[in-house]
Amino acid sequence: MMNQGGNIQTVAALDPSSAQVKNRYVVDENQAQTSFYPSAVTSSEPASWNVQSVANHFTENGNISNPTYHHVQYVDSSTRQDGTNSAAVATSSSLATTNVQQDYSSYASYPSSTDPYGYGSAGYPGYHNSYQQQPNSSYSQPVGAYQNTGAPYQPLSSFQNTGSYVGPASYSSTYYNPGDYQTAGGYPSSSYSHQTTTWNGGNYANYTTPQYSSYTADTTGAYASVNVASTSLHYQQHYKQWADYYNQTEVSCAPGTENLNVSTTSNQVCQVPGVSGGYLPTSNSQTTPSFTPSWRPESSSSQTPSLTPSQTPSLQPSVAVSGAYDNYWKHGAPSFQNQQASPMRPYFQKPLESKTSYDNFQEQQKAACPQGLNLQYPSAHQAPQSCHQPMQPLPSLDAQRTSKLQIQTNPRIASNLPLGLQKTDKDSSNNNAAAKPAYISVSFPKSNQKVLPNDAADSVLKPGVFPKSLRVYVERALASCKDDTQKAACQAIMKEIITKATADGTLSTKDWDNEPLFPLLNADMVDKDLQSSTPASLPKYKMSPSRRSKSRWEPLPQEKSVDKLASMNNDTAKFGGWIHASEKDKKPMSGNLESKSDGFSNTRFSLMEQKSASKPFQRPVKRQCLIDRNATDNGDASSDSDKEQSLTAYYSSAIALANTPEERKRRENRSKRFERAQGNRAVINHFKTKNIGTGNLYTRRASAMVLSKSFEDGGGRAVEDIDWDALTVKGTCQEIEKRYLRLTSAPDPSTVRPEEVLEKALLMVQNSQKNYLYKCDQLKSIRQDLTVQRVRNQLTVKVYETHARLALEVGDLPEYNQCQSQLKILYAEGIKGCHMEFAAYNLLGVILHSNNKRELLSSMARLSDEAKKDRAVQHALAVRAAVTSGNYVMFFRLYKTAPNLNTSLMDLYVEKMRYKAVSCMSRSYRPTVPVSYVAQVLGFASTVPSIEGIDDKDSDGLEECVEWLKAHGACLVAENNGEVQLDAKASSSSLYMPEPEDAVAHGDANLAVNDFLTRTPS
Amino acid sequence: MAYISMGEVHRRITEYLNGFADAVSSQDGGSLARLLSLSSNSPSLLSLADALNVFQDANRLIKQSDKCSQFAEIIVPLFRSLQNYRLGNLVDAYHAFEKSSNAFVQEFRNWESAWALEALHVIAYEIRVLAEKADRELASSGKSPEKLKGAGSFLMKVFGVLAGKGPKRVGALYVTCQLFKIYFKLGTVHLCRSVIRSIETARIFDFEEFPRRDKVTYMYYTGRLEVFNENFTAADDKLSYALTHCNLLKEANIRMILKYLIPVKLSLGILPKSCLLEKYDLLEYSNVVLALKRGDLRLLRRALQEHEDQFLRSGVYLVLEKLELQVYQRLLKKIYIIQKQKDPSKAHQLKLEIIVKALKWLEMDMDLDEVECIMTILIYKNLVKGYFAHKSKVVVLSKQDPFPKLNGKPVSS
Repeated sequence: MMNQGGNIQTVAALDPSSAQVKNRYVVDENQAQTSFYPSAVTSSEPASWNVQSVANHFTENGNISNPTYHHVQYVDSSTRQDGTNSAAVATSSSLATTNVQQDYSSYASYPSSTDPYGYGSAGYPGYHNSYQQQPNSSYSQPVGAYQNTGAPYQPLSSFQNTGSYVGPASYSSTYYNPGDYQTAGGYPSSSYSHQTTTWNGGNYANYTTPQYSSYTADTTGAYASVNVASTSLHYQQHYKQWADYYNQTEVSCAPGTENLNVSTTSNQVCQVPGVSGGYLPTSNSQTTPSFTPSWRPESSSSQTPSLTPSQTPSLQPSVAVSGAYDNYWKHGAPSFQNQQASPMRPYFQKPLESKTSYDNFQEQQKAACPQGLNLQYPSAHQAPQSCHQPMQPLPSLDAQRTSKLQIQTNPRIASNLPLGLQKTDKDSSNNNAAAKPAYISVSFPKSNQKVLPNDAADSVLKPGVFPKSLRVYVERALASCKDDTQKAACQAIMKEIITKATADGTLSTKDWDNEPLFPLLNADMVDKDLQSSTPASLPKYKMSPSRRSKSRWEPLPQEKSVDKLASMNNDTAKFGGWIHASEKDKKPMSGNLESKSDGFSNTRFSLMEQKSASKPFQRPVKRQCLIDRNATDNGDASSDSDKEQSLTAYYSSAIALANTPEERKRRENRSKRFERAQGNRAVINHFKTKNIGTGNLYTRRASAMVLSKSFEDGGGRAVEDIDWDALTVKGTCQEIEKRYLRLTSAPDPSTVRPEEVLEKALLMVQNSQKNYLYKCDQLKSIRQDLTVQRVRNQLTVKVYETHARLALEVGDLPEYNQCQSQLKILYAEGIKGCHMEFAAYNLLGVILHSNNKRELLSSMARLSDEAKKDRAVQHALAVRAAVTSGNYVMFFRLYKTAPNLNTSLMDLYVEKMRYKAVSCMSRSYRPTVPVSYVAQVLGFASTVPSIEGIDDKDSDGLEECVEWLKAHGACLVAENNGEVQLDAKASSSSLYMPEPEDAVAHGDANLAVNDFLTRTPS
Repeated sequence: MAYISMGEVHRRITEYLNGFADAVSSQDGGSLARLLSLSSNSPSLLSLADALNVFQDANRLIKQSDKCSQFAEIIVPLFRSLQNYRLGNLVDAYHAFEKSSNAFVQEFRNWESAWALEALHVIAYEIRVLAEKADRELASSGKSPEKLKGAGSFLMKVFGVLAGKGPKRVGALYVTCQLFKIYFKLGTVHLCRSVIRSIETARIFDFEEFPRRDKVTYMYYTGRLEVFNENFTAADDKLSYALTHCNLLKEANIRMILKYLIPVKLSLGILPKSCLLEKYDLLEYSNVVLALKRGDLRLLRRALQEHEDQFLRSGVYLVLEKLELQVYQRLLKKIYIIQKQKDPSKAHQLKLEIIVKALKWLEMDMDLDEVECIMTILIYKNLVKGYFAHKSKVVVLSKQDPFPKLNGKPVSS
């Protein structure tokens, strides 16, 4: 409710026109949907997210009028797009799937946009910080992401990232470029640029729509984005454009929501004028009508060298492509995207692998999109990240950079997100392939491709049902989306459109080819383009256009291109990958065109899939190539990539499958809501085709899931309406081992393990010799199964306890906190367990980490007399006393005698305690105090008994203590007898707390995947 | 239930309706407040409730009354609330009352002057009390008590209506205090911050212009918040303000204030007279004070242990625990004085062994390292002036003012 209110207000302030009001309404609906969605399907977390965003929004309204304003607009446009896109998709029979994805993405986008604001106290500053950081690391980031993928247990890492909202965005940047973090100085400027970007987005959206209908319009869109980057003037221009946009929207959008037919005609008419209007302001700065010329001048003049080259090349290729596309579009090429998805997967995988880490990131992004679940988190992160990157490199370029950054961020985020997803992406290759094209030219048709991959995956299933033209239309719409958020919004809109169309019966009769697209948030798209362009060098771009031309006409050459890519240099390889993607897109399109008839498309699909299946064998080679490239670029990346490769196969298949079914399900649900009979049939058809095609690739379980989901879909229940009580399932799965996959829909009994099996699974985990990441993954899946079946008994407690202990041992605090809070509830219900042990942990946690006096008091007051007699609790209470009084001697004595895992929690406070102790000592002792005494009192090394004997131990502790003291700026002097003394007086003024080496922006080093992995005993 | 004739029922209801309409038309906040005061158990309201329970069609009467029909949104749910309250259905009563209150606030918004503040305050109070009762009912039936939370958010809305510029602002502090009561009860004191900010940062309204009782309540709660934050100087200011402005006849209120003010004053080095503790029945602090005077660590620990639950609940436990350092200081001072009597020239050197021995007498079993640590902390916190010589294990005291008094300053952290 708050959100809505805020939106309304802001909108009103902007333009009191009725169109806006309508827009607002659309937004509201979407928001509402999104919020319902996650909460109902996944768990409480999504819901909480929404709340946060709402809160942020609210504050924004109060504090900063401008930011909110922009934000709101942004949301509006995105939502609209969704409606259109979704509608189109629906027509194409992929409706259900697409819709689902869209919803997700939109959801994700929304939080992300809001969140950034909420970060700083002012909201904006925080946002910008993240902004700036990213730019620096644009290159390195990909590597980081790559590494993440490499990590064996990606789900874990992703999970953690998601856990700390702010963290992820800042985290990556800090990780790679610590300096950047602090340097983010230009808050105001950055914020400004941000605004501009949003505006651009609006403009862009206008243009994108025209793109399909008229080629020139597209180019203008591209121009607009460039302009924004260069000057502050853009802002105003954009503003005007927005106005235009709104005018257009009034006619087009309002009808669109309610009547598809009307909207189509009106949209077309309106959009063209709107484009021209928007164009004119922009054209003043960049007068050239033709694309290529205008781009070049801009790049040279306005932006830094690095950016310019990239931009120019990227644009050119895109232009060429677009030129090629024009014909296509007119001819009905649009169908290609849907069909592409299936064929694309196999082919694309190889190219992606060959590409540098950067590409991988992109892939990851794509992967994230398909999986509805992951998206939410990633998207949120993405938005901030993307913004950061642009800002740092070139202040003037802010707008463009921001946009570019966004693209990068997306991949990054994806990488941060569950590793499993990334892997899946690679394996499935569908996502990757699709995503790559998007990189190259966001604004152009290619961008559609990017977006499409997600949709494509979904849509692949449903090719036969919907008219090609609709598919094309959807693809177009998606292509115009540069962000996940945009996509989501786009998808939502499309959904609506399609559903309406189906309801009207105009689905197949409509002229989808001529149907105008909904205006998107173009800024993001532009940004993505820029990002992609930045890393790439000119030669690469050149390569891409030529290939594209080939690909257009020749459907099969994809494989060749992939091979070529592999052979290419590192740089070329990176770009080549993109190019390939684009080529691939084209190729599939051509194929689609040829097989315009629905039946044909289906058959083709299966063929394509087969091809893809055969290709996986080739992958290894390509991967190696990638590794080499990575090695050249970044030494670290290579090792990760290796891991990735091994693991990818593992996760990818399962995840990819899961994603698609889930998405389908959601889509189905929604479609059913609107039109029960039609939607269901279409979905079913979809599934069948998909199953046949995918049979080779996917596991048995996945197919089972799909089927089950289709079943549920048949029920026609909307996900929002899911009643968890009714969905409490009784598991039938007998497999002991099961990977954790976050549910996005109702659980399938055949994949849920009953209690007996879970018991065995717990035993298996407890006795497993594998590393923590494996165990964590397994335990999470056990927890999930328990939750789904509503099992709350001693087994539940045992599982949570086991997980909490494991998490403590390796210092995985986020996971530990989850378990601890669950345990609190479980114990409160009177379920037996190691209550005391965890009461002690809880106390220690409050004492040492939250430093909240009230909380401490209340948790102390809650202790029963019996609890106070417990050894662990007593220990915890003693630690509390030692900490509050600053009694370091007592603290380190307790540290050595800690029962259970109390030590692990105390570990986290040791550094602080030592520092306090030494500053106290240096203030109180005169003239000196022997370091040996300090070492003894502050518990140096004595906790880790060495094998050599007591003497060695002491000296070890002494050495460590000396090191520590030096690191903290203490003054040490050696006495005549050789004993090292702490010069108290000198030290008292020179002590300082060194920046922790493993510090990360979000404050939790555990979220650093690589660091985490190295620390985990495998 | 005694039989009530239909005519009587009609009479009671119309009487109420007329009273309501008259109060509004004559802008009589006091009598309007009385009509809304559910929990006052006034005979007229009780009889009305009985009448309502007999007569089911009160809504028709309300609609027929031309004066009251415009307030139907307020009165209809109010009657329902009254009925349920009378029957003991507190949750239902709360729901109806909240509905009625919402309508009232809506109406209140439209009244330009602040004449109905008194009535609004009654509503703010009633909704809190009713929510507490409803929560008790919910808890006893095993459901999650959440009405008080709902009342909190309703009052937040009321606060929003009052907190703006204008004559109504004077009533904002009362609602703030009701909010404080809710938040403290719910343990969500962090929610107080936004309200406090809007009260304290507003330049348009001087704090002193608020009614005195509200100021005292406000200062009491904000002072308690400062105690939680261990911000003793600020806590002292606020609680002292509350104490000096408090009605001297309200001993219970004074006691509540003192319950927090005494620990705060103790940690600032200011000890209360024992007669004060006796007068206000705060004897749980007497041993603490005694321990501070004597430097008797054992006594302090015993006192803390004895009243642990109480102190933990009121939230002063950690504050009192911190007095330990002052007790150590006192102990050292005693040793110093004794040494001075024996040998003034060596009095400023306190041997660690002696201190350990003194603690042993107090049955505090601490070894050298631990006591040494405490000595360094004492020096570090400036409770003892001097330094510690590690080699000779001696606390060397400054010759000038070796044990500085706190004199109203908190122990440096």
